[in-house]
Amino acid sequence: MGGSSSDKVGEGMMISSADIEVRFGNIVALDQFSVQVPSGIVGLLGPNGAGKSTFIKTVLGLVLPASGTINIAGLDPRKDVLAIRDMVGYMPEHDCLVESMTGLEMVAYFGRLSGMSLEDSIPRSHEVLDFVGLGEERYRLTGTYSTGMKQRVKLAQAIVHDPAILFLDEPTNGMDPVGREEMLELIGRIGASNKSILVSSHILQDMEKVCRHVIIINNGRAVTQGPLQALLDQGEGRIRLKVRGAPSALTSFVAKLRQRFQVTSVSEEFGQMTILLLNREGSGVVMEMAINEGVQVRSYTPDKITLEDVFIRSVKEVV
Amino acid sequence: MGLDPIGYRPWNGKRTQHERRLFIISERIVREKFKSTPLLALFVMGMLLVHFFPLVMYAMWPHAQLTAENMSSYMQGGIFFIFNVLLVSIVCSDLISEDMRSSSIVLYLSRALRPEHYLLGKWLGAMVVICLFTLVPPVAVGLAITATQSGPDYLASLGVVGQTAISGLWTALFLVPVGMLMSALTSKRTYAGVGTFMFFFIMTVISSILQPFSPDWGLLSPQIVLNDTYAVIFGMHLPANTNFALLALMVLVLTVPPMWYVYDRIMRKGVGK
Repeated sequence: MGGSSSDKVGEGMMISSADIEVRFGNIVALDQFSVQVPSGIVGLLGPNGAGKSTFIKTVLGLVLPASGTINIAGLDPRKDVLAIRDMVGYMPEHDCLVESMTGLEMVAYFGRLSGMSLEDSIPRSHEVLDFVGLGEERYRLTGTYSTGMKQRVKLAQAIVHDPAILFLDEPTNGMDPVGREEMLELIGRIGASNKSILVSSHILQDMEKVCRHVIIINNGRAVTQGPLQALLDQGEGRIRLKVRGAPSALTSFVAKLRQRFQVTSVSEEFGQMTILLLNREGSGVVMEMAINEGVQVRSYTPDKITLEDVFIRSVKEVV
Repeated sequence: MGLDPIGYRPWNGKRTQHERRLFIISERIVREKFKSTPLLALFVMGMLLVHFFPLVMYAMWPHAQLTAENMSSYMQGGIFFIFNVLLVSIVCSDLISEDMRSSSIVLYLSRALRPEHYLLGKWLGAMVVICLFTLVPPVAVGLAITATQSGPDYLASLGVVGQTAISGLWTALFLVPVGMLMSALTSKRTYAGVGTFMFFFIMTVISSILQPFSPDWGLLSPQIVLNDTYAVIFGMHLPANTNFALLALMVLVLTVPPMWYVYDRIMRKGVGK
């Protein structure tokens, strides 16, 4: 197989599932779960217990769905589980290192378990450990590693066999800001080499930096999915307007605004009113209204939507 | 850390067959075990006390040929059993427990490796190490006695050597499942090791307490079960009061359910239960 698995994934959907249902006894972990995961770096977001890990386990064939269909690069995890795992690399969230091995031994060992020969596994392990930035520490027992080093070794063991699809579960967990930046850069560099990377994380700023596509999961369902830019563009035309004036003037001004624009929120604090509205007509109309009603415009700024806003809105909608 | 970042390079090698990957697990277990000083010390002590003296004694004693009685009594010795139990306790203690404790089992199960291959790899590694004590030395003793025999019937002696090899292999087959069971029950290797030893010890004690009421209770002792199976393998008569059906049942109980439990535990761990 080797590098051929990358070709199978290609530019299309790397994972697609339709109406997947996974149950653990009476608990429904995934409920009518349908997603289309494209190639590139994809963020998998969701609160604790939303079903992110269950979805990853389903893709790995560790959990079998009760109903629905799923395919990974054209393969069915129920039938081709070993072929799929050969093309998948997995970096779990929690500590999972073999503490009696050095970093180098561990990466080479798991490389061999993924189908590499002994002769291939050692030079390749050095290569990926260089890539993740682990220097002489590779000769130390993994039990003595710091959190940052552990994360790097976990990433190295996930990519040692050059998988076409990579699952990274909380890759920046417990890392300091510099380490986090370096990890995100590594993810970006792996993603640039025709890999499909599914990153699960709670740190939405990190996701915003590296992901091109986002899937938000809640209560076992995919509630929002799409290109990150498209989700953020939903906020195009949103304006945050701050005005001051006499209460009657402000009331009249808001009423006029409502007639012309879509006003999403109005709040008042210490005599200053903050209005969120959707305006694609330019600022002139609003300013003219303000002059006519005798209110003072203190600020008129575009209100950018963030991934956090999208996430909170998606989760709240379901609740 | 601190290296200049390098670019990601793909690997284009040829992958090994899925079925062969379990041997990588076994190989690692054998390598790891022979790096362990306590295990090596136990090995050397056991070799001297259990195998070396019988080897010298039987080889120097005038004999016409190797007999099943000789080898059977050698393998039924209490000290052989005690060393076997100690060895199984140490070798099996961290087989599963360590992977559970460190959660590295998740890395194994996310590889192109079936849970049964993982289990088989672990089992095979333990079997190889234990057979180096239960199989190789008795066969060497048998061959030494055969080589120094005065009689002409070498074929019969070699037949006994074959029975000895089967007995040695059977000893490991019989003892390893309980060791693996204890290792899967806990995530602490010390508990697993002590648990394995105590299991064999307590079963022997219970058996000796209850045996006066009925000889069948004797079969609660793994040592008695093992000794009776040696008698069967060497083609000798079982003790008169031995219930053969009960013996077969005990063999089954001490081997199949423990391995089934270990398999089930691995499967459950795989799905995160």
